[in-house]
Amino acid sequence: MDILVVIEGVSAVLAFVLVRFMLKPYRTFEDSRYLSLPLGFAFLGFSYIFMGISLLLNAPSSIEKAKWMHLFTGAYAFTFLAVTYYFSAKKSEKEARPVVQALISLSFLLLIFLVVVLFFPPILEIPDYKAADEYFRLFNMLMALYIVFHTLKSHMEKPEPSTIFAPLGYALLAFSQYSLLIWSVDSSFSAFLGAHILRISSLLIFLYLSCAPLISPRKTRQVEQQ
Amino acid sequence: MKQLRRDRLKIYMDLLIIIRTESKKERIALTRIQQKSNVPFDRLKTYLTELKERGLIEDENAPKLTEKGGQSLAEYEQVLEFMKRMGLSFRR
Repeated sequence: MDILVVIEGVSAVLAFVLVRFMLKPYRTFEDSRYLSLPLGFAFLGFSYIFMGISLLLNAPSSIEKAKWMHLFTGAYAFTFLAVTYYFSAKKSEKEARPVVQALISLSFLLLIFLVVVLFFPPILEIPDYKAADEYFRLFNMLMALYIVFHTLKSHMEKPEPSTIFAPLGYALLAFSQYSLLIWSVDSSFSAFLGAHILRISSLLIFLYLSCAPLISPRKTRQVEQQ
Repeated sequence: MKQLRRDRLKIYMDLLIIIRTESKKERIALTRIQQKSNVPFDRLKTYLTELKERGLIEDENAPKLTEKGGQSLAEYEQVLEFMKRMGLSFRR
């Protein structure tokens, strides 16, 4: 289990490093459509932290709480990422702003509600984590597949070697959720380990995507003329 | 560049790109910049004055990118390249 805790820690660090890069489109254009991108990666980081905590804990009730937090923050992450891609393609900033703001407010309210339910019993009975696990994994996988479809479509419109990495990265994230789904059904350790390897590979791809334009700025000069 | 509205930012960056391309020639003609940018001449003069006030170009009558202007443009292009790689559309 120790190696898995380390993997969760490394994943969280990678996700938080990526947040810094993902903030750039929002900071440059001050466009609310791009705010959900760093939020998505931040929630991914938090979900890995909660998973790591759940692996470290011994008391079943504490494990249950950490896993619920992991499930919710993970679902938020994929929702925010999917929202970014949906609005970046279809809506103008004016239309997107109220929806994005409402989504952010709603998600934080839900998170506060979850924290109250989990940590201030006995207001409500906490349902069994395992009952919801599969549904959350399936939801995350569908969100990730939507992003794969979207990024692949962008790549097909203007095929370039550098644009194939984003769909690949999101596909690995989707497969990672699929592996976790398998793990939640049959508890196989190989599925659990496979999910972690797929996830680290995916985050490394995003790190490469984020760093590459900074390393070779001269290549970027053609972008605006296209 | 953070204080700018999105549309204004795009216009500024388009102008900086044109100035960078044109500065390879001996003399930068304002009429040439105007033709390429498709901005009315009076507004072009206003934009160039604003760019000079922000320290992005030298001399609005024969504009040339300053170091700050070059850096801002490079950062802007890096963000666009990053967005392209991430599969994000840039629509306004």
